[in-house]
Amino acid sequence: MFKIELKKVSRKRTVKKGNDSIEMEVLKGVNLSVQPEEICTILGPSGSGKSTLLRLINRLEEVSSGSICLDGVDINELEILSLRKRVSLVFQVPVMFDGKVEDNLRFGLKISDENSEQEMKKCLNLVGLDSNFLKRDSQELSIGERQRVSLARTLMHKPEVLLLDEPTSALDPTATQQIEKLIKDLNQELKLTIIFVTHNISQAQRLGHKCVILIDGEKVEEGESQVVLQNPDNPLSQKFIRGELVKEEK
Amino acid sequence: MGIKEVLLALVLVGVAFGISFLKKLDLEKELLIGTLRSFIQLIAVGYALELVFDLNNLWLILLVILIMVLVGGQTAGSRTKGSLKGFTISSFSIGVGTFFTLGGLLLLGVINADPKYIIPLAGMTIGNSTTASALALERMHSEMKNKKDQIEQALSLGVPSSQAVEHSFRATARAAMIPTLNLMKIVGLVQLPGAMTGMILAGASPLQAVKLQIIVVYMLICAVSIAAVITARLSQSTYFTRYHQLIIS
Repeated sequence: MFKIELKKVSRKRTVKKGNDSIEMEVLKGVNLSVQPEEICTILGPSGSGKSTLLRLINRLEEVSSGSICLDGVDINELEILSLRKRVSLVFQVPVMFDGKVEDNLRFGLKISDENSEQEMKKCLNLVGLDSNFLKRDSQELSIGERQRVSLARTLMHKPEVLLLDEPTSALDPTATQQIEKLIKDLNQELKLTIIFVTHNISQAQRLGHKCVILIDGEKVEEGESQVVLQNPDNPLSQKFIRGELVKEEK
Repeated sequence: MGIKEVLLALVLVGVAFGISFLKKLDLEKELLIGTLRSFIQLIAVGYALELVFDLNNLWLILLVILIMVLVGGQTAGSRTKGSLKGFTISSFSIGVGTFFTLGGLLLLGVINADPKYIIPLAGMTIGNSTTASALALERMHSEMKNKKDQIEQALSLGVPSSQAVEHSFRATARAAMIPTLNLMKIVGLVQLPGAMTGMILAGASPLQAVKLQIIVVYMLICAVSIAAVITARLSQSTYFTRYHQLIIS
């Protein structure tokens, strides 16, 4: 059974162009299956619908047609708040809530102080931060530290699937490397299924067991990362990988 | 005071008219309409209140207050998009605050069940609650727009929308209450409020006027708190689907 399965998922949005409102199809009948404990990278140029796909799995938005299943169950049949804890989303720009790091880690949880202290230290440790960070003001952290705290905050909810929306796009190369290693470790140690959105081809190659290429809302390629990125079948993905894809061409 | 004195006071409008004309402010037409409108409105209200005071009928008093609440709701609600929701939320919030406060004063025996007390006090309550409700609607909208990322981050962690916007709710309620809180701080020192001024002009002793004004200030803070909190809470819920999804572009 697939951990996550998208069946002909489409998403339409009304956007304003001048004085007119037009309906845009951000995702067009996307089929996708992700195995348990797999790292699946979603690759594509800006505006190809990658982030929307993650938002649909977390149900921050609704599909216009098609369905999404978690462990074979349609996510619309699951209680939404528990779904979001099982399928957690980490945003491109980490948002810290006011207060200390410990307030951020405890956010939305109902656990005793004693248990939460241990859990918080454990999660910070998993993302490579020591327990001294608990008392740090969350607004004073560097962007790299924020991203780690954001990951730790997500881990506090014990998710089964991690949805990562370009978590390294704002980071320097060293921090990027550290986060990539961290993601691999989380996948192996916690047996997490990970869907990782990126527009960076070499990152997809380094991280993903599987790679999906989205262009203009359509899935144009899917397969093992090494195969897809070295010998893509689709002419559009070939162009994208060669860096020759101009958005208007589609 | 007769109509002659009222007409003499028109000289002051003439001064404003002259300033506008000389300084090319282009406000002459608006001043003329405003002067006529306020004259007609106030005279009409004067006759209506005379009638209500003479009849001294509870249902008529309630009807007058209800109309005032709806006008306040319309004024506050019209500042937001989707004005029907804004109108409904504001009218309800202002109404609850007003009826609760006036009802409390009546039950405690602070004021008599006399339209001469109830209607002017209701007017002050509704006026201030309208400002609070309008501020709450506007602040909530900007909170939702400016804190979209923060709210969606919270939602994505599986917290209900009410918890995701708790910070915005508090900021909204506080912002809506600021004018009344400021009034409490400066009343008597910087500003002599309408009720007090009116009583003094009508010949009451300043001490008597102050006592009434103290009641009015306490009444206003109660009504405004209720209107601010209810408007903030109800308007917050209009930004989410029942699946805790934020709907703002």
